[in-house]
Amino acid sequence: MSRLKIFRWRAVGPLLVLLVIAGILWWLFADTIARHESQKVGTQMLGAKVEIQKLHLDLRHGKVLISGLTIASPHEAFKNLLQADELVADIDMLPLTEKKLVVDRIVAKGLRFGTPRQTDGRVAAKSSDGIAGRVLAETREWASQFQIPVLQLATGKISIDSLDPRRLSTIPAAEALGARADSSRRAWQTAFDTLRLGPTLDSASATLERLRHARATDLAALNDGRQAIDRLKRARARVTALERGVKTGVAELQGGLAGLDSARRRDYAFARGLLKVPSLDAPAIGAALFAPGALKPFERVLYYAQLARRYMPPGLLPRATTGPSRVRRAGEDVRFPKERALPAFLLRSAELSFLLHPTSDQPQQYAGRLTGLTSEPALYGRPTVFGASGPQLAAGAMLNHVRAIPVDTAGATLGGIMLPAFEVPGVPLRLDPGAATTQLGFALNGDTIRARFAIRSTNVRWTRDSGFANSTIANLIWRAVSGISNLDVESRLSGALHHPDLAVRSNLDQAIASRLRAVLGEQVAAAEKQQRDRVDALINDKVGPVRARVNEVQTQAQARVAQQRARLEDVQKQLEQRLRELTRIRLP
Amino acid sequence: MFVLIKLIQSLFGALHSEGTPGQLAAGIVLGSFLGLTPLFNLHNALIFAALVLLNVSFAGGMLGWALFVPIGFLGDPLFDLIGHSLLLAPSLRGLWTSLYNTPIVPLTNFNNTVVLGSLVFALLFSLPLFFATHWAVARYRVTVGERVRQSKFYRAVTASKVYNVYKMFRP
Repeated sequence: MSRLKIFRWRAVGPLLVLLVIAGILWWLFADTIARHESQKVGTQMLGAKVEIQKLHLDLRHGKVLISGLTIASPHEAFKNLLQADELVADIDMLPLTEKKLVVDRIVAKGLRFGTPRQTDGRVAAKSSDGIAGRVLAETREWASQFQIPVLQLATGKISIDSLDPRRLSTIPAAEALGARADSSRRAWQTAFDTLRLGPTLDSASATLERLRHARATDLAALNDGRQAIDRLKRARARVTALERGVKTGVAELQGGLAGLDSARRRDYAFARGLLKVPSLDAPAIGAALFAPGALKPFERVLYYAQLARRYMPPGLLPRATTGPSRVRRAGEDVRFPKERALPAFLLRSAELSFLLHPTSDQPQQYAGRLTGLTSEPALYGRPTVFGASGPQLAAGAMLNHVRAIPVDTAGATLGGIMLPAFEVPGVPLRLDPGAATTQLGFALNGDTIRARFAIRSTNVRWTRDSGFANSTIANLIWRAVSGISNLDVESRLSGALHHPDLAVRSNLDQAIASRLRAVLGEQVAAAEKQQRDRVDALINDKVGPVRARVNEVQTQAQARVAQQRARLEDVQKQLEQRLRELTRIRLP
Repeated sequence: MFVLIKLIQSLFGALHSEGTPGQLAAGIVLGSFLGLTPLFNLHNALIFAALVLLNVSFAGGMLGWALFVPIGFLGDPLFDLIGHSLLLAPSLRGLWTSLYNTPIVPLTNFNNTVVLGSLVFALLFSLPLFFATHWAVARYRVTVGERVRQSKFYRAVTASKVYNVYKMFRP
């Protein structure tokens, strides 16, 4: 029996050939594969297209050379976030065996920001898949929570929505009061009937008549007289009780009438709310004019801060992220950071040199430095710090995710940038800020945000929309602002991240507000009077008869009570008088 | 069509090779690893090298690979679940952490839920698959094997040029 061979030695040759072929393919295509993978991973991480013209791996010297890097803006369709002419990275080779990328140093040259591009480079904006897509959707939803007032000054007209009588509260209140008055009338009538004063008065009158013809010795007649007085007293007590009830009921009806007046005032307020009156409040005008533009920088900075929090979470717990895209299901990659070990990604230092205004005659050279960018800040133990400076720029940022509560701060002042001209919302004007200085301050401490964005320009230019040449308001606003050559806009954001307060002010607010108040004040008063007249016309037909009915009911009830009481008192007085006469002792 | 013919050739080549049922079953088991787990991973390079270097049925390996690729696709949700529960199990965190921070091991992508889940499934499935295949091949050869070998269809399939390539790796 022959011994079974375990190894197939003759297959070693073909296997080696296969390995050599694989080696040659790697040598030929490593750069291309690395370029494609870098583009794919970068695009997935940032939510915008990352394009690399050329990438060369020089593993022998631990270097990676990238030429022509373009990162599209995740927010703007035809704009790049940045472009770089050349990046040279020094890679630490040993951590690659642990699938960890540690970059000792990157030198980036020829960085340019906000350059135009031919194609739409947004990825996350089109699909909310992946971390970038989800973060973008969240920040958009966050930005949409702010209620920005809208100015309707284009024509300067005050429009009025139709007044629906069913929505007025006075009419149902009047109907209810009328029903209550009728009900009170019926109740009091019943109460009068149950008093049965007629028989008591008739009996007392008959007794009085008998006493008039009786003698002092007619003790039975005297006794009848006294009993009649007692009955009259009891009847008066019943009338007094009824009077108290009537008084209470009358007070309630009077209260109902006062309620009608309150309801009328509410209806006036409701009708006034139907007026589409431009806001005359300066802060509201500031928010309406500049909040849409002022929110954008906050939204963008928040996007990058939140992205950093997802990719650079604090702590050392295992964390899962979406796996690599492939034909099979991607699954999730779980990272297991370990104390005193290297993080999965670490960029120790990056030196950046970039140009601002690259197309101008004198492009300005700037320099920046980034340190400690890592996927596991708790392992690196220090925050990520960025700083850049130049003739008209001072910028800095710190992402401190070392402790459990992450703190992200950023600040930048950039002078001499040409902001694009824009239509001022709600106003037929176009504002060209010219060369402006912008300032941004941002602090996200856990879930508490404090941010400030300011634009200052001393050379603004105004142009008016010719379509509104005949508008009174447009003319007035034009006169108010066209003489203003400086612009000072400041927006502040503070509070809990999920629901912060936004305040926007500018030097234009007061100018526009005072003009509007002067012109629109009379128009607003006239429109409000018109609305009040319309309310009155609708409710007076209902309220007038009800008021008259209430007055009639209370007058009748009070008069009847008084009349009955007077009759009882009169008969009682006569009876008492006659009894006194009969029982008086006459001396001879 | 070429794939189908190749599959049939592999099937006949394996069943009627001179290899023992054990060699054929071992080849199919190794091939099942290639089919069940995501292909481009370091462990599959080792499996492929084993398939080539070990005296097992290479045709069986190709057959196992071809048969288990669709099963791998269908089983991905299950593998994802298995991998997820294993990787996030608190009791195994220490093991994964030390493996993740050990050179070379992370290159296997063991920390991917689908890779780990499918690999664990393939490992558990390998023993029943080996014995079932071993038994089935032995039964085939003693029952209908000889009649199939005499059929025109078998002769037509084995006459193609691809078969000659296979012969190079036959056990």
